[in-house]
Amino acid sequence: MEAGGDTAAPAPGGAEDLEDTQFPSEETREGGGVHAVPPDPEDEGLEETGSKDKNQPPSPSPPPQSEAPSSNCRLWSPAAPENSPTRSPESSSGGQGGDPSDEEWRSQRKHVFVLSEAGKPIYSRYGSVEALSATMGVMTALVSFVQRDAIRAIYAEDHKLVFLQQGPLLLVAMSRTSQSAAQLRGELLAVHAQIVSTLTRASVARIFAHKQNYDLRRLLAGSERTLDRLLDSVEQDPGALLLGAVRCVPLARPLRDALGALLRRCTAPGLALSVLAVGGRLITAAQERNVLAECRLDPADLQLLLDWVGAPAFAAGEAWAPVCLPRFNPDGFFYAYVARLDAMPVCLLLLGTQREAFHAMAACRRLVEDGMHALGAMRALGEAASFSNTSSTSAPAYSVQAVEAPGLRHFLYKPLMGEAQLPHLEAPYSREEERQRLSDLYHRLHARLHSTSRPLRLIYHVAEKETLLAWVTSKFELYTCLSPLVTKAGAILVVTKLLRWVKKEEDRLFIRYPPKYSTPPAASTDQAAHNGLFTGL
Amino acid sequence: MRKPDSKIVLLGDMNVGKTSLLQRYMERRFPDTVSTVGGAFYLKQWRSYNISIWDTAGREQFHGLGSMYCRGAAAIILTYDVNHRQSLVELEDRFLGLTDTASKDCLFAIVGNKVDLTEEGALAGQEKEECSSNMDAGDCVSPRAPKQVQLEDAVALYKKILKYKMLDEQDVPAAEQMCFETSAKTGYNVDLLFETLFDLVVPMILQQRAERPSHTVDISSHKSPKRTRSGCCA
Repeated sequence: MEAGGDTAAPAPGGAEDLEDTQFPSEETREGGGVHAVPPDPEDEGLEETGSKDKNQPPSPSPPPQSEAPSSNCRLWSPAAPENSPTRSPESSSGGQGGDPSDEEWRSQRKHVFVLSEAGKPIYSRYGSVEALSATMGVMTALVSFVQRDAIRAIYAEDHKLVFLQQGPLLLVAMSRTSQSAAQLRGELLAVHAQIVSTLTRASVARIFAHKQNYDLRRLLAGSERTLDRLLDSVEQDPGALLLGAVRCVPLARPLRDALGALLRRCTAPGLALSVLAVGGRLITAAQERNVLAECRLDPADLQLLLDWVGAPAFAAGEAWAPVCLPRFNPDGFFYAYVARLDAMPVCLLLLGTQREAFHAMAACRRLVEDGMHALGAMRALGEAASFSNTSSTSAPAYSVQAVEAPGLRHFLYKPLMGEAQLPHLEAPYSREEERQRLSDLYHRLHARLHSTSRPLRLIYHVAEKETLLAWVTSKFELYTCLSPLVTKAGAILVVTKLLRWVKKEEDRLFIRYPPKYSTPPAASTDQAAHNGLFTGL
Repeated sequence: MRKPDSKIVLLGDMNVGKTSLLQRYMERRFPDTVSTVGGAFYLKQWRSYNISIWDTAGREQFHGLGSMYCRGAAAIILTYDVNHRQSLVELEDRFLGLTDTASKDCLFAIVGNKVDLTEEGALAGQEKEECSSNMDAGDCVSPRAPKQVQLEDAVALYKKILKYKMLDEQDVPAAEQMCFETSAKTGYNVDLLFETLFDLVVPMILQQRAERPSHTVDISSHKSPKRTRSGCCA
C-alpha cells in the first residue's frame, strides 16, 4: 500500500495563474505534486517538456500553414495569456466566440480540436472553428514539423497537448486538467470513433482522397452536439470512458434474464443486435448469432450506441438511421431502429444489416413491447428508470447510502473478469464543480494505477476535500471517495464493507451472465457461448 | 398491428423546421430544436386511415437514405425557410432527385416555414430560438427581416417540379393549393398543410384499393404483399 502523503502535497497560492479558472484550489494542486511525474514512456515518440515558446521557435516549418504567426503558438503556453495579448490579425475575426484571444475561450480547461490533414478545421469544443483557423494552422505545422516520427504529446508546464492522427484526420487535445496523456488520447479516440460512427472510416478516407481540402463540417453538421456531449460526460460523469465499461441499470436478476430471453426470442431478418436501455444505462442486450457470430461487441461500441440513443432526436417517433460501429467494422453501416417503449424512457435499439427492414424491425419492436407487458416489466423498469431519469446522468442510479458504510461518498467499481458494468453513485457531488473535481481526482488515480512506467495497485490519496482510495486487483478495479475525516484504518473498513455489499448485490448490479445469442430459426448448439457480449474485457 | 395506408415524407435542408412542423401538428407544441438523426416515423390516424409520416434529416450526412424514405410515397412535403433563400435552391438541387422513388402519382407540397420571423408574419416573432443552433451565420436572421423568399418563388418551383415529373397541370392540384407559408412556432397554417394533404391522399388510397382486384374480404391484409415488396410501407 502506498500511503500517498506525497501525492496530496498541495502547492497552494502562487500557481494561481492567468486563466480565471473556476476552481482555483483544484488548479493549484494540478501544478503541484502528482503530475510532475515524468511522462509515461508509452508517450514516447516525441516528447517535449517545458515551455513551447523555447522549444518551438518560429522555425521554418515546411507546409504553408507554418505562415501562422508564432505569437499564436504562445497563446497556449501557460505563461502566454497574460503577457502576450498580441492579437494576431488572423485570429481577431470580429466578435465571434472562439477567437483565441478571447478570455472566455482561453479559460476553458480543455480544448479538443479536429482538423483535416490540410489544416481545415472540422470541430472545436469551444468557440467557432472559423475563428480558429490560424490556431489550427499552427497545429498542422507542429505535426508536420516533426518528420519521420509522429508527434504524440507536448508537455508545457501545466498544459498537455496530445496529438492523434487517424487517417486524414488530426485530433488534438489541449488540457490543463489532471488527465494523463494516455487518458486524453483515449478521449480523442472516442471523438474519432464518434465521427466514424456517423460517416464510416472508409467514406472519410474516400472524401479526402478525392478532395484534400474538403470541408468535412458539411457532413458532420448536426453531430457537433453529440461530440460536445461526449466530451462533457468525461468531466461530469467519470466512469464510462475512463474505465471502458458500460453502466447497467440495477435490476433483479430474474427480470433481467427474462428480458434477455425476450430479446432473443424476438428476431427479424438481418437483426444483429437488440439493446434495451434507459437513460444511457444498459438493461440487457442480445446478439444475433448469424450476423455477429465469432465476434463479441466491444464495450466501446456498446457505449457509443448507448450515448447515441440518448440523443434528443430519438425522443419522439420511431427512428431509422444508419450507424457504424467503429470497433466492430469501421467501414460499414448498420441500420438502427430506435424507439421509446410505451412512452417511457425505456429505449429499444434494434440493429440490423438491411437497409429496407424498417417495418420488420417495427414489427419486432411490437413483439418486444407485448412481451414486456406480459412480463409486467414496465413497472419495474419504470422504477429503475425513475432513478436514472431519462435526460441525464445527473440523478443517482441508487444512493450510496444503500451500502451502509458511513464515510463513503461515492465509488466506481468495475469487475475485471467477464462483463464490464459499473454502478454509479452520486451523493454530495451534485454541483458541476464538485463533479468536475471528483472526475479529476478519479482521472488522476486512474493514471497512477495504470501508469506504464510505475503502475500501482493501491493508492490512498488525501485530497483537500475528500480522501480517496483506489485499488486494482485481478478481479476488480475500485475507486472510492470517502469523507475527508476518515482515517486510513477507517477507509479500509469502509472498503471492506463496500466489497461485501457489492458481492451481495452483484446479481442485481451487474450483468454477470450476459445473454448470449438470439436463437435463429434453425437452433444450433450454443458452442460459441464464450463469445458472450461482455466477456473478455 | 396497424398498417399504414399511405405515406407522406417531409424533405428539406437542415434547420428549416421539418421536425418542428410535424411536432406542432402531432403534439401541438413547439419544442426545442433537435437535429434529426436519419428519419423518424410517425403514424397519424386520419378518418379511418393510417397515414405514415416520415420526418427526415436534412443533414447531408443522411442524404443517401433519402430515396429510401421516399419509396412509394403518396405525398412529399418540400420544406424551406422563407428567410433563407438557399434552402429553396437546395430543394431543387438536392432533394428533388430523391423523390424519384416515390409513387408515380405522388403529390408535392412546397412549404415555406418560419414566417413568424418575417415582417409580414410577425405574429409572435419575439425570439429567434429556432435560429439559435444554426451553423451558418447567414442563417440566423433577426426577427422581422423582410422575407427572402416569396410565395411566387415557391409556385415557380412547383411548376418546375411538375415539368420534371412530366405531369400535366390539369391532373394535379393547383400550385396555389399546394404552396404554403407556415410557422411551426405559432402554428400558422400548419394544420391546413397537413390536413389538405391528408384529404388529397385519402382518394388515392381508395383508388389504390379499387384498382386491386378484390377476391378477399380483408382489404388490408390483401394489400400487404405489394407493400412488403416495396419494402417501405408494409
